[in-house]
Amino acid sequence: MIRFLPLVWRNLGRNKTRSVLTGAAIALAIALVCVLRTMPAGLDNLLASITANTRISVHNEAGIVYALPYSYLQKVRSVPGVVAATSWTWFGGAFEEEKGVTFPNFAVDADSIGPVYQDLGIAPEALEAFRRQRDSALVGRQTLEKYHWKVGDRVTLKSTVFPVDLEIQIVGEIPLANDPRLWLQREYLSQALEAQGSHFDLINMVWARVDEPERVNDVMRTIDELFRNSEAETASETEKSFFGNLFGNLQGFVTVILLVTGMVTLCIVFIAANTASMSIRERVGELAVMKALGFRWRTLFWLLILEAGLLAAVSGAAGVAITLGLARALKNLAGWSPQLGPLASFLVTNAILVEGLFLALVIGIVSGVVPAFGASRRSVAATLREVF
Amino acid sequence: MALPLSYSLRSLFARRLRTALTVGVIALVVVATTLFLGLISSLQRTLRTTGSPRNLIVMRKGSSNDGSSQLPLEALQNIRFFEGIAHDAAGNPIISPELIVQPFFLRKDGGRENVLVRGVEPAAALAVHDEVRITEGRIFEPSAGEALVGRGVAGRYRGAQLGETLDFGRGRWKVVGSFESGGTSFESEVWVDVRELANDAKRPFPYSSFRLTAAPGADVDALARRIADDPRHALEAQPETAYYAKQAESANTLYVLVVGLAVLAGIGAVFGATNTLYAAVQARTAEIGTLRAIGFSRAAILTGFLVESLLTALLGFAVGGTLAWGLGILISWALGGVGFAAATFTTSVIELRVGASDLAAGLVLSLAVGLLGGFFPARRAAALRPVEALRKA
Repeated sequence: MIRFLPLVWRNLGRNKTRSVLTGAAIALAIALVCVLRTMPAGLDNLLASITANTRISVHNEAGIVYALPYSYLQKVRSVPGVVAATSWTWFGGAFEEEKGVTFPNFAVDADSIGPVYQDLGIAPEALEAFRRQRDSALVGRQTLEKYHWKVGDRVTLKSTVFPVDLEIQIVGEIPLANDPRLWLQREYLSQALEAQGSHFDLINMVWARVDEPERVNDVMRTIDELFRNSEAETASETEKSFFGNLFGNLQGFVTVILLVTGMVTLCIVFIAANTASMSIRERVGELAVMKALGFRWRTLFWLLILEAGLLAAVSGAAGVAITLGLARALKNLAGWSPQLGPLASFLVTNAILVEGLFLALVIGIVSGVVPAFGASRRSVAATLREVF
Repeated sequence: MALPLSYSLRSLFARRLRTALTVGVIALVVVATTLFLGLISSLQRTLRTTGSPRNLIVMRKGSSNDGSSQLPLEALQNIRFFEGIAHDAAGNPIISPELIVQPFFLRKDGGRENVLVRGVEPAAALAVHDEVRITEGRIFEPSAGEALVGRGVAGRYRGAQLGETLDFGRGRWKVVGSFESGGTSFESEVWVDVRELANDAKRPFPYSSFRLTAAPGADVDALARRIADDPRHALEAQPETAYYAKQAESANTLYVLVVGLAVLAGIGAVFGATNTLYAAVQARTAEIGTLRAIGFSRAAILTGFLVESLLTALLGFAVGGTLAWGLGILISWALGGVGFAAATFTTSVIELRVGASDLAAGLVLSLAVGLLGGFFPARRAAALRPVEALRKA
């Protein structure tokens, strides 16, 4: 089959306009499919990146915005099985005031971030600096890239929750590609609030790490039991369940995205099928001659399939290249938003690109099957009689 | 003399599969675009129509939404007597002190979402939010553990139907009524008594925000400035419409995304349509030669092919538009509205409706595809020289 490649290539070049138009149409459609796929993939990726099955969240049973007393942190730490625990409090800091909160940022207990998040791969120097320096912050890679921040930079965040502006220095990175989070020291916020005369003893939630995966359920039950009938009853859940729930309200939107993706895919099928049928139909005479010369119908069939597949593969590759550029542009434009969360991270994973290529190839081949089969099975005599 | 319309129309049916595939491509592009566009414009419409330009929302300075604002009782007592606030028949200022809490609700399918619960004083709230209409049941009684639910909430969560009991916060709430507000974002909220909610949520401050109505003829902006300049409390006031419009801005990114998608998909469809029509011109060379020979002008041939292309596009639009419209209704019905996260970290339930403007955008797109996709092949057809074209036959 390989020795026929030059023939197939020349056949594609026979009607250059058509090949180029079809190729461009498929490439654009593949790019669209890939870009659309990055939206739900941002969510899937977030959930899949939660590899720690021993980290649990403890929050108020009534909701995350129902605060917990700060003392709960110590109580959670004392539960057998809990190795380390830190607290999160939504700071709601806006970097550019008019744009509002453009990345999630929390005041956390700096000392225990390292042990609770040991799986994130945060550099030990960064963790150490975060513990020592009161006005320091750790920032996720997505946000660092979005604002072109570097370790060492100082930025001011205007809180939309507390009546304070805090200047922080970035001392390290949370090295996950689509992590938008920023963590600053709870102690820093606490001092700023106390300087204004207000007492700060609430948290939104506790994140705790359990020593053994098998103990997670027991520990969660113990914690919730501990706070039963207290001023704030808690609900504990695993990290995966927490984030799955947090973005659960986007399911409807994801459905629409998937629907649209499906339609664009179908478009590619139609475009490819149309071209295959046109170019094969115009060539029936020639195919009949080749058959008369002794080419077997199987060979002819595969030649036609190869032609459709080759065009699709090349266009698919072009589409993948377009995807990379498009996703980068969108990432700069959008990034994390409170409305879309991880859907707007436009993270192009290798899986998406490979799937795009594969999709193009499969569609190309499938679209060629029907017309190629028909053309290669036609009787020579009948065809030649028609043509001459 | 121009070619009759029936010529172009019948040509479409000469190669049915090919026409069908092209129509299919255009239809799919139209469906994808209008459906997505419909979703975004539904979201924007919901936010943009919420609130009234005569109403001000007062929050703590620096808060981006009323979910993160906290206000003390004294602020209310000061503001009540500001000049420029409308008064009701009894002579009381029309001002609604409100508390926002975002507790968990369980969706009917089992998922968990934050829902915006607005604590209000019944009479004041209905006076300020005059677009709210109670359609079923009645308003809640203060301190009776009763709740009024928005239309979007009623269909989406467990226990949110009239007469059922909602479990949220620390307490249990009996649903005594449901309301509509013309498709605005209030319909994704639950309203309860403000004092009861403050107790339940154990908030240090009793209020999140105040909504007030400006007196007829009063200068809304001047009133907002006066509130912001009050030295006793760090407050900020803005018209409700501006507040919600700002929240709608976050949907602009999505708009850019959808328009980009539409243009790209449109270009793809143009390429597809061009291909088909080129093939048609090639296959009908002899026919075109004949037409030219019997006296049809180049312009007539050009127009004829363009019309053919536009007809294909229109057909595509008709199929795609109908499909998108139906799908919009189907999705809304199947999912009970599409959820979006709001700035307050609560869920806005949007009714997905593919509206006239979305369909119009789809029509423009498909006509552009028809025109651009038809142009080059039509020009080639018109440029054919009759003698050569006939010789090919």
